[in-house]
Amino acid sequence: MTIAAWITLAAPLAAIALITLGGNLLPRRGAGYVATAFTFVSFAAAVYAFVAMWQRAGADRSQVSTGWTWLSAGGFHAGMSILVDPLSVFMMLVVSGVGALIIGYSIGYMDGSDEERRFFAYMAIFVFSMLLLVESANLLLLLAGWGMVGLSSYLLIGYDQHRPAAIHAAKKAFIMNAFGDATMALALFLLIQHTGTLEFGPTFAHAPGGTIGILIALGLLGGALAKSAQLPLHTWLPDAMEGPTPVSALIHAATMVTAGVYLIVRCHPLFERAISVEKTAAVLGAATLVLAGLVALVQVDIKKVIAYSTMSQIGYMFLAAGLGAYANGMFHLMTHAFFKALLFLAAGILIHALAGEQDIRKLRGAGRLAPFTSLCFLSGSLALVGIPPFAGFFSKDSILAAGLDRGTLGYILFALGEVGAFLTGLYTFRLWFVVFRGEPTPFVREHFHRHHGKEGPLWMLGTVGVLGVLALIGGWIQFSPIWHPIANWLDPVAPPLANPTSTEEAIASALAVGLGVAGIVVAWLMYGAARVPVPRLAFVQRTLEHKFWFDELYDAVFSRPAAQLALALDRAIELPLVAGSLDALGFGAREAWSGTSRAQTGLVRSYVLALAGAMAALVIAFLVAR
Amino acid sequence: MRGPEVTWYLGVAAFLFATGAFGVLVRRSPLIVLLALEIMLNACNLALIAMSRHHGRADGQVFALGVMAVAASEVVAGLGLIVAIHRRRLALDVDRLTSLRG
Repeated sequence: MTIAAWITLAAPLAAIALITLGGNLLPRRGAGYVATAFTFVSFAAAVYAFVAMWQRAGADRSQVSTGWTWLSAGGFHAGMSILVDPLSVFMMLVVSGVGALIIGYSIGYMDGSDEERRFFAYMAIFVFSMLLLVESANLLLLLAGWGMVGLSSYLLIGYDQHRPAAIHAAKKAFIMNAFGDATMALALFLLIQHTGTLEFGPTFAHAPGGTIGILIALGLLGGALAKSAQLPLHTWLPDAMEGPTPVSALIHAATMVTAGVYLIVRCHPLFERAISVEKTAAVLGAATLVLAGLVALVQVDIKKVIAYSTMSQIGYMFLAAGLGAYANGMFHLMTHAFFKALLFLAAGILIHALAGEQDIRKLRGAGRLAPFTSLCFLSGSLALVGIPPFAGFFSKDSILAAGLDRGTLGYILFALGEVGAFLTGLYTFRLWFVVFRGEPTPFVREHFHRHHGKEGPLWMLGTVGVLGVLALIGGWIQFSPIWHPIANWLDPVAPPLANPTSTEEAIASALAVGLGVAGIVVAWLMYGAARVPVPRLAFVQRTLEHKFWFDELYDAVFSRPAAQLALALDRAIELPLVAGSLDALGFGAREAWSGTSRAQTGLVRSYVLALAGAMAALVIAFLVAR
Repeated sequence: MRGPEVTWYLGVAAFLFATGAFGVLVRRSPLIVLLALEIMLNACNLALIAMSRHHGRADGQVFALGVMAVAASEVVAGLGLIVAIHRRRLALDVDRLTSLRG
């Protein structure tokens, strides 16, 4: 079991080595095949680990395997050790499975672009880092994986390094994530100070409570918020859509951005010691899900709409994790990985066929020319809105039901979640009715580029087809009132704090489905049938288009003062003191020696005279001194 | 066998050294300068040998042999340089060779 987990971790690393060292020996497409094949090996090993774990008894399922001591300082040791337990195997399956599918899709999507090898090497680095994050057995290694996924996200957003917008977005994502990494590192320092270790088991057993506990939980929450693009550290995610579409699907929808949820679930004992922080996570999640849903209503870039929807869905996961419904959050993480990757990849087929166009006003009706993609996108949309029997129905509704089980705050969050359900239906089907059911624009008719008579390369259609089926059946694994294998599976790692009854489940489901359908109907009235004009409220529209002015606010509060401070320091200190002093040193030295240099006449005889004279003077001095 | 006092030898050596140094300082032909240098070296040799004799030890004579070897090689290098200067049609005048000017 542990060996399989090590193989899962090592396979993408092997792919990185092969692609990097192979260089030009590997054909351009070969890099894609290598990355895909090794990630599939990784997935197969994860499946093996899962089956092996399935056969073990409950207490025997959690195993730590240490490769070597990685860092040792005094009494503190951190090993290169992996933890194989139900939660990590669950994440390994999602990461390697969805990762393999999306990297396979990229073979078609990236075909013929410059530097394909670099792209696939980066993708393999990402899969490796993400697996390191979910498999690590101590918080230090987790932080290493945490930083490395941030790095690969930076590299992949800025993959198209000739576009300034892409570079800018990459830097923004990296800096905001670095903030989260820093707060997380501070939390780890506190943990080391108070428990002397970062191994999950002993740390959780001896973690302090009180103010220190709250600080630790806040630090971890900061990391989770930044990585998962939740309020108030969310502004990097929409910009990250500058990266290639498979990157958006893998990193900014399916896996990396959900790492925050994994962190909260993994460290739930620390959060339960500081229950106010855990509730803060739930509140921020709920706020994000409503806010992102609102902003998604007015976006015109197809990928940004899906990006805001991702933020909104991760908000649901934070809501679940914050309310203590850990298994529900993880279940939603899995189904979301399926249907959100599907939405991105289906959109990617259209973008690919239309030479990179992402504006839905230009893409109107493109779906009519791509029936298979439309079908898959519809499956993903229905799963996103949570219409039975699609996946989202099973996972989202039990999160909302958990709200009903947790007192007054729970009720408020429940209400926000239901509002989010309505918004989800509205913005998702706005996209559907405009891009897939609208009358094709002349631009679309003229430019739609068929790939050998098909909608796209086989790799892309195949992946989208598989995910389309998964978005339909992926949720059937768990239907909370009747059977709940995922909750049972994760129970030993993270026992839930909320246990909603079947009645609460039914109420939550009925409301959520009802509101989702209402959202669809409103979208149909406004965008499909155009019977109701889209309301125009100038102020509201401007607020939404500016994404609630978060970017402007951060710009005014952090970015611009920092730039001005730097400029002032440049003028007041750098130029006169640092640069000026160097010049003064140089000129001073030159002045001092210019007199001496005049003595160097080049007349050898005068040198000899000086030597002889000096010698004679020395001799006389010695004689006199004696 | 006893010769004059060691002071006489040192006096002669000092006179030879002064002669050589004077030659180095005032003459402008590199050939003569080289010659004067040899005189200075031989003055040193004389002083070394005289003191060696005075103390009844052989180390000064060994030093003198070393100085002779150095003087011989120096003459080889110096003459080679003078021939090279001549071949390049440069003036044989040490005051015209001023590329050491700072």
